[in-house]
Amino acid sequence: MNAVFLHITIFTALACGLALFMIIADFFIGDYGQAVITVNNSKKLEVEAGSTLLSVLKGQKIFIPSACGGRGSCGLCKVKIISGAGDYLATELPWISADEKKSGIRLSCQVKVRRNLEIEIPESLFNIHEYRARVESIRNLTYDIKEIKISLPEEEQINFKAGQFMQIETPVYELTAQPVYRAYSIASSPGQKNSVEFEIRLVPGGICTTYIHKHLKIGDTVTLNGPYGDFFVRPGQKKIIFIAGGSGMAPIKSMLADMVLQKNTRQAVYFFGARTQKDLFLTDEIRTYENRLAFRFIPALSSPEPGWKGESGLITEVVDRYIQNGPEYEAYLCGSPGMINACVSVLVKKGVSEKEIYFDKFG
Amino acid sequence: MQAGVITGAGFLGNDRRNLIDILDADFRTVASLGLTHNKIAETMEKFRKHAESGLGEFISIAPHFEARIDAVRGKLPCPFEDRGLISKTSIMVKNLFLKKEIIYTDMHIHLINIHGFYQGKRSLFRLDPEIIAEILEIIPG
Repeated sequence: MNAVFLHITIFTALACGLALFMIIADFFIGDYGQAVITVNNSKKLEVEAGSTLLSVLKGQKIFIPSACGGRGSCGLCKVKIISGAGDYLATELPWISADEKKSGIRLSCQVKVRRNLEIEIPESLFNIHEYRARVESIRNLTYDIKEIKISLPEEEQINFKAGQFMQIETPVYELTAQPVYRAYSIASSPGQKNSVEFEIRLVPGGICTTYIHKHLKIGDTVTLNGPYGDFFVRPGQKKIIFIAGGSGMAPIKSMLADMVLQKNTRQAVYFFGARTQKDLFLTDEIRTYENRLAFRFIPALSSPEPGWKGESGLITEVVDRYIQNGPEYEAYLCGSPGMINACVSVLVKKGVSEKEIYFDKFG
Repeated sequence: MQAGVITGAGFLGNDRRNLIDILDADFRTVASLGLTHNKIAETMEKFRKHAESGLGEFISIAPHFEARIDAVRGKLPCPFEDRGLISKTSIMVKNLFLKKEIIYTDMHIHLINIHGFYQGKRSLFRLDPEIIAEILEIIPG
C-alpha cells in the first residue's frame, strides 16, 4: 500500500515539476521570434510572436471588438483564421457554433501567434481606432442616465455611422482589479467629428456604469475605441419606425441627427417608452426634429402620473395602436432583449417584414 | 472561479474555504430556512418573468414589489463549465414594504438552481440565501 502511495507521490511530483519547468521556460526563454500575419490575402504584418492574436493586432492598430479585455468571456473578438492557428482551446468552444468551426472562426483573444497566420477580417475594422480623450461635460439626463461628452485630441477625428457603438475603458478602481471595456452606443451626430457623446444608464453593481456615474469627472482622460456595429439606417424609401427605451435613446438620437445632416426626406415615427415622467429625457430636443424632418415623436408612459397628456401604456401597446400598413415600414429598435422581442412580435403582427426589423439588442 | 478568469472579480471573493465547504454551509443555511435551492431559484425566476413584462422599466408586482430587468452586451460561461452561455441580464427587485432591494442576474439563478452556489464570502456578487428569502418573501412549503 505504502509502495503504491510512494509511486503516486513521485509521479505527481514529477508531473508538477515538469509543468512548472515549462511555465518558467515559456516565461523566461520562450521566444517565438517573428511571424507574418496575412490579412485578407493582401496586407502583411510582421509581428513579434508569442502574444494573443487580439493583442498583436491591437499593437498593429487593428482593433477587434472585445468587451472583456481579452479574457474569453464576451465572445466578441471572433476572426476567421485560414491557417496557422493550431487546435481550438476549451475556452473558445462555448462561443463557437458548428458552422463557425467549419469555417475557421476563432476567438482572437485565445489564439496565440506562434507562427505565420492567414486571417480574414471585415474591412470596416480598419476604420476602428483607439483614442485617449478628455471628458468635456457630464450632464444628468434622468436620476439614472448621464450624458457624457468626450472630446478627441485636436489632431484626431472619428468617422462613424449613426447607430454604431464604441468601447470605453474603465480603469482599475475599487470594483475592478484590472481595466475593463464596455460598449456604449454613440448618441451624437456623425457630423460631429471631434467629439462623441454617450447616454449611459447606471446598472446597479455594474463595474463600468458605476465608474462612469460615481467616479468620472470633467477633465478626466478616458481610453475608448471604435466605432463598431452594424446597427445603422439602411438606404431606401420605406417609412421608418424607431423604437427605444431608456439609454436605447442614444443611437436613435444619432440617427435622427444624421437624417437632418443628409437631408433625408423619408417619413419616420419614433416611439420612446418610459415608466413615468421622471424617466423621460431629451423630449424637447427630439421634438425639434419634427420641424426638420418628416418625423413624429411619440413618448409613451407605462405608469403616468396625473396630468400626463401623452400616450399611455406599454410601448408595444402604443405601437400596436399607431402602426397601420406594416409593409410600408422598416424598423430600428434599441433596448433590452425583452423589449426588442416584444416589439418584434408586434411589428411582425402588423405586417412589417422581419428582415426589415433591425435592432441593437443589449445582451 | 478565480478573479479575472470569467469575471473581473471572480466568484469566490476572499473566501479561503474549499468550494465544497462553501456549498455545504449555504446548503445548511437554506435548509434551516425550510427552503431548497430550487425553491429560491424558482422564486427569483418568477420575479424575472414579471420584470420582463416591464420592457426595461420598473413594473409593480403584488402585493408590494417593484422589479426591473436590465441587460448589457455579452454573455458569460458558467464557472462549473456547464454547456452554453448565460446572458448578462440583471433583475432588480424592490420590496416596498421592507424598504429593501436586491439585484441578481441570470447567472445567479443558474448557479443557485443547478449548483446550489451563492458565491464566496465577500465576493462582489454574493447573495446570502437568508437575504434573498427575506426580500423576496420566500416562505417554506
